[in-house]
Amino acid sequence: MAKHERREQPAKLQPPMAPMIDVVFQLIIFFMLIPNQQAGEGYLTTNLPNTSGPVAGKPQIDVQRIKIELELPDNDNKGVNIVLNDNQVFGSNFGGLLAALQGLKARGLPADHPVLISPWMGTRHKWVVRAFDMAVMARFTNIHFGVPYD
Amino acid sequence: MARKKRRGVGTGAVSMNMTPMIDIVFQLIIFFILTSQFQQLEIEQVVLPMSIAAEPKDPFQYRNVIINVVKPDNPEVIVMGQRMDYRVIEGDNELSAYLKERKASTLEGGEKLNVILRADEMICYEVVASVMLAAGRAEIQGWWITTDIEEPEDLLD
Repeated sequence: MAKHERREQPAKLQPPMAPMIDVVFQLIIFFMLIPNQQAGEGYLTTNLPNTSGPVAGKPQIDVQRIKIELELPDNDNKGVNIVLNDNQVFGSNFGGLLAALQGLKARGLPADHPVLISPWMGTRHKWVVRAFDMAVMARFTNIHFGVPYD
Repeated sequence: MARKKRRGVGTGAVSMNMTPMIDIVFQLIIFFILTSQFQQLEIEQVVLPMSIAAEPKDPFQYRNVIINVVKPDNPEVIVMGQRMDYRVIEGDNELSAYLKERKASTLEGGEKLNVILRADEMICYEVVASVMLAAGRAEIQGWWITTDIEEPEDLLD
């Protein structure tokens, strides 16, 4: 009795897809999160003065403005010496500057009263940002930076 | 004669065709790899100053030029991976000429251009002022300063 030949069917290869899908979705989530790694950063938004036109570069003299001068201390080019309105000296005490600014605000100055931050050219950027912070914390909104002119 | 029991249609395992799904997923991976690389090209590693008034924003919602100021001991201004001359001269320097060009091309699209400054915290104000002057020459008024966000009690220590 002839035996029927059994046809052997080729083995079907089926790689396990579920772990592969898991890994691929992990990679997607990873790359989606990468652009957000600067999430701890923030921005101070200001507007630059218009430096074109006939008044470009001229100092704007406003005797009513609050002036925060950031000087370099003697023998320390990384530190700061804060001088408010040419007569109050705070050293590197930004808390004192804040208290003084809050005192000025409490006397009834409006929020848009001009505040000029006038750093020396060698003053470090972080002190300029901190002085800006103090003015914002004291609720002033019209804050300018002094820029040298020829 | 006993009938062979037919195997019903419902008893087989249901399998999805995974090949198109894998194709789409790999397309997405490649897309996210490329976009993250383009974003990081504009940004240099700096130690940012701390600020409590700073607000987290998504800068990529706007048309921006990111100006990196690095190396406090020998300051360099880097835009899109390229060093630029920022020194104040009579007329336009390399930075202000570049900003004017970017502003012109942005205006053609009817949009406004912002300058985002990423300066190391120990950079001297002289360099920052030079960059501000270059932006002013290009008549760009939107000016963002990048900082790390910090709590008020930490700043006043």
